[in-house]
Amino acid sequence: MPYTDATLRLLGQDGALVQDDRVEKYTQAIAHLDEGDFREFFRIMSVVRRFDVEAGNLQRQGQMALWVPSIGQEAAQVGSAFASRAQDHIFPAYREHCVAYIRGLDLIDIIRMLRGVTNGGWDPRKTNNFHLYTLVIASQTLHATGLSMGIGYDGACASGDLDKDEAVLVYFGDGATSQGDASEALIFAQSFQTPQVFFLQNNHWAISVPVRVQSRTPLYERAAGFGLPSVQIDGNDVLMSYAATRVAMDAARSGQGPHFIEALTYRIGAHTTSDDPSKYRDEDELKFWQAHDPIDRLKNHLETLGVEESFFDSVAIEAEDYAADIRVKTLAIEDPPVEAIFRNVFMEDHPVITREAAWLKQYGESFEEGA
Amino acid sequence: MTNFTFPLPDVGEGLTEAEIVQWRVKPGDHVAINQVVCEIETAKSLVELPSPFVGIVRELLVAEGDTVLVGSPIISVEGEGPDLAPDTGVIEAVADVAGSVSSDEEAPPVKNLVGYGTGATESVSRRRRTKPLAKGPVISPPQTAPSAPAAEGTTVLAKPPIRKLAKDLGVDLHGVSPTGASGEVLREDVVRHAGQATVFKNLETPAWPEIREDRIPVKGVRKAIAQAMVKSMFTAPHVSVFVDVDATRTMEFVKRLKASPDFAQIKVSPLLVMVKAMIWAVQRNPMVNSTWTDDEIIVHHYVNLGVAAATPRGLIVPNVKEAHTLSLRELAIALEQLTVTAREGKTSPEEMSNGTITITNLGSFGVDTGTPILNPGEVSIVALGTIKPKPWIVEGEVRSRMVTTVAASFDHRVVDGDVASRFVADVASVMEEPALLHD
Amino acid sequence: MNELPMAKAINEGLKSAMTADDKVMMMGQDIAQLGGVFRVTEGLQKLFGPNRVVDTPLAESGIVGTAIGLAMRGYRPVCEIQFDGFLYPAFDQIVTQLAKQTARHEGTQGFPVVIRIPYGGHIGAVEHHQESPEAYFAHTAGLRVVSPATPHDAYWLIQDAIASSDPVIYLEPKSRYWHKGPVDLEASGAPMHKARIAREGTDVTLVGHGAMVTVLHQAAEIAAAEGVSAEIIDLRSLSPLDYDTIVASVNKTKRLVVAQEAPENASVGSEIAATLTERAFYVMEAPVLRVSGFNTPFPPARLENQYLPDADRVLEAVDRSLAY
Repeated sequence: MPYTDATLRLLGQDGALVQDDRVEKYTQAIAHLDEGDFREFFRIMSVVRRFDVEAGNLQRQGQMALWVPSIGQEAAQVGSAFASRAQDHIFPAYREHCVAYIRGLDLIDIIRMLRGVTNGGWDPRKTNNFHLYTLVIASQTLHATGLSMGIGYDGACASGDLDKDEAVLVYFGDGATSQGDASEALIFAQSFQTPQVFFLQNNHWAISVPVRVQSRTPLYERAAGFGLPSVQIDGNDVLMSYAATRVAMDAARSGQGPHFIEALTYRIGAHTTSDDPSKYRDEDELKFWQAHDPIDRLKNHLETLGVEESFFDSVAIEAEDYAADIRVKTLAIEDPPVEAIFRNVFMEDHPVITREAAWLKQYGESFEEGA
Repeated sequence: MTNFTFPLPDVGEGLTEAEIVQWRVKPGDHVAINQVVCEIETAKSLVELPSPFVGIVRELLVAEGDTVLVGSPIISVEGEGPDLAPDTGVIEAVADVAGSVSSDEEAPPVKNLVGYGTGATESVSRRRRTKPLAKGPVISPPQTAPSAPAAEGTTVLAKPPIRKLAKDLGVDLHGVSPTGASGEVLREDVVRHAGQATVFKNLETPAWPEIREDRIPVKGVRKAIAQAMVKSMFTAPHVSVFVDVDATRTMEFVKRLKASPDFAQIKVSPLLVMVKAMIWAVQRNPMVNSTWTDDEIIVHHYVNLGVAAATPRGLIVPNVKEAHTLSLRELAIALEQLTVTAREGKTSPEEMSNGTITITNLGSFGVDTGTPILNPGEVSIVALGTIKPKPWIVEGEVRSRMVTTVAASFDHRVVDGDVASRFVADVASVMEEPALLHD
Repeated sequence: MNELPMAKAINEGLKSAMTADDKVMMMGQDIAQLGGVFRVTEGLQKLFGPNRVVDTPLAESGIVGTAIGLAMRGYRPVCEIQFDGFLYPAFDQIVTQLAKQTARHEGTQGFPVVIRIPYGGHIGAVEHHQESPEAYFAHTAGLRVVSPATPHDAYWLIQDAIASSDPVIYLEPKSRYWHKGPVDLEASGAPMHKARIAREGTDVTLVGHGAMVTVLHQAAEIAAAEGVSAEIIDLRSLSPLDYDTIVASVNKTKRLVVAQEAPENASVGSEIAATLTERAFYVMEAPVLRVSGFNTPFPPARLENQYLPDADRVLEAVDRSLAY
């Protein structure tokens, strides 16, 4: 049973709100949300999941070397992303496609990266401060902490104005918690009392290594050891994900220092399309988590609110359209020009870059046409 | 309706092949985009492949149980859907393949879109180049005219092996006219320079004298030379023989001697080798080392080796006494001493008498060969010509070698043709292979 | 003209840069109140405050990783790694992140982070406190690498490094920290990546950087007494290398000896040898010779004088070069 006594949730899998004194402040944190917001959560979770499936198919059709699925983690991502405020900075790992969508990224840019036409794909400054995917595990935790320190030095937090004070939300996984950088980030965050929330998506697997190899104790307890206020939530409950993040981010931006959320969720799919979970995972475990699917849970809740079937149908159609559009865009992606090898290695001119770029151009021109 | 073919993709970052485990569709079935068409097994896992096309399955191109290379077409679909990759070259290939499939030909493997995969028939060949690339930034040639030698103190361009060659041959690169494409000195430039005749080295062309004639009294050395030449020429019937020889090994031997500590400060030249060669050849052909008198031929069993020396007062022939007893080193010292003394005009009459055989060096004037006149009292004289690079056949191929002509004149009263030839051949063979001196 | 030891010259350069731009900030272990274990940052926290001169937790990867985040926020962080031997925990953040962030962001933002690292031997230090790691950085695209040999260059190169929009590794030859030299506070005299002719000569070119330049001067003095005129080039920049200056010198002298404390295998000196062979092939009268540390871990300090190239080792190479 992956949940512990400490696991907090607002919604049960049946869609009913949970009665629990411990979640009082979290219930307040979602009080301003209404059915329209919940429909929006549902829409986005569904569209991005459909996008994810399409991307996986496109990989199987040779359009990408690799696809990284986020299936099963939609609630953890959508809730937390909506809880952040417009002025915040977000540091993903490399699986936060829902967060990307919510921050305004055209998801084709993620496909461009995995297809190999770019190592980045977007400008965070033009994507509501949604930073680039980082493939070196846990590296982004330090970058996020550094930027949070900068917010502090700028005096851009702790004024009391929640719509102005900035904070940083950084995502990472259970495997990442073992990397030294993750611990160092917690140390720096605590030392400098940064306006920052560490959002751990414990999806229970680091490729084929289960979380019990990373830690024998619940991971939220580790953060407490570093001195950060820390909470464990049911990550497949989008309302809880929203609430916990809202509370933590607003505390962090208000001068209360860094906070930590462990969101229990599950990587329904493989680590990437190169992986085969059937080689190491238990069928029963998968069944458990499929039975706790985040989108189903929200749908159940919406149904208790009386949302009509036609809404769900329209979302399904919208998701299909989105997927078809991604397919067309993917097939239209062009290879970068060879000059791109040399672009942007440095901001300023560099003689080696200049020389090699010129050489490669000359070299390319020395071949017969059409050879 | 277009025929689309689905090439087996690399589904796992570097896979090269997969086995078709199970087809989920058959020809004639309608297939939608993303509908699973087959299950494959790769080195990593079992994978379901979704169709990239919508349409009617035309043909399953490989069978269940077949192992297929990445990039090989596995299924063709008559479709109305989007192409596999409209903007890459693959679509042409796919269309070609599709075209050929529709005409029932064997479909060649199509290059895969993303990831690896080879295809058995993908052979690597070299793309054809139209022109070589310029060398990177290099030191540019000196500013002088391309074929003029570099001035002393400026930069000479030459590759390391050429620098070594110049050093070994004692050539100053600054004096060599470079003919290389980048203005560098080439091997042949150095060799040409080393072998260059110094014929014009010291002479300026004087102006025409204003007086009509100079009258030089015949006396002294000039008179003695004239008498000797006449006596020699018109008493002894002169015969000259010539042989060309590859003297490269002599040049190398001379170089080694120059570098040897034993010969430090001692002048070493090919002349030294030829003198030693003559002594050895005399030992094998004693008749050449004789004197004719009307009664008897005196064959000398000692060698007083004369060296024709040009002095300011004319040609003299001092000789190295008992040359056959001298080591190579002693001989070198003796020859040098002889030359110095002669140049100073201090050669004694005793030094000029009792010679038994003579050598004359025409090569120092850049001349190939000649017909020397015998020194009176002797029956043989050898001429050393210039040693210079010439084409030579070495092991069946034309190579540049240091070649010289060994010439000798003989008194036919004493030395017949066979002796003459053997003697000259012996001298030449030492020039060709100085190791014979160790005999 | 001021006479300053290198440590002070760097201190002055940092002060100057931090005064000129309040986005410049410093971070490292013990740099605040202590002023750095070599006192290079002495007095700076008093001047600029604890938000601009920051003592960090003991975590090199953390120092560089947070510096990257600060650069994303618009700051110009100057990190100090306390000793060459301790930079390796930060190596991942330097190579996989800092060096590649500009390219990964496709030029939409720069990462003006400077990493200061005291390096090199000659101070009798224990293990990990005498290394020369420049080759790792020179080999990593996306980084600029410089190392001053004189207090004057130390003063100016640190400012150039901070002003650069690119990441710069600034290597401080620790054995030179307390040696004084003239510093012209008005003009640097040379762009960041230009090499300096430290001594003119005609018979052989000696190339080095950092503390090695002092050794080259010693060797050149002895050589001069023996009738050999050596030209000395102080590289100043290790990546990119100023090949124009080296090539022009070899064009004159025809012979090149490169000296470095670092071990020879796959070193910056080896790179110079390969490139000079290409660019000066026709004028060289001897192969490029390298005088380097041996290909062993840096030995215990009692052996460092036999390990590190000294004037004798340089002169041996000069003799060998001239004998060709």
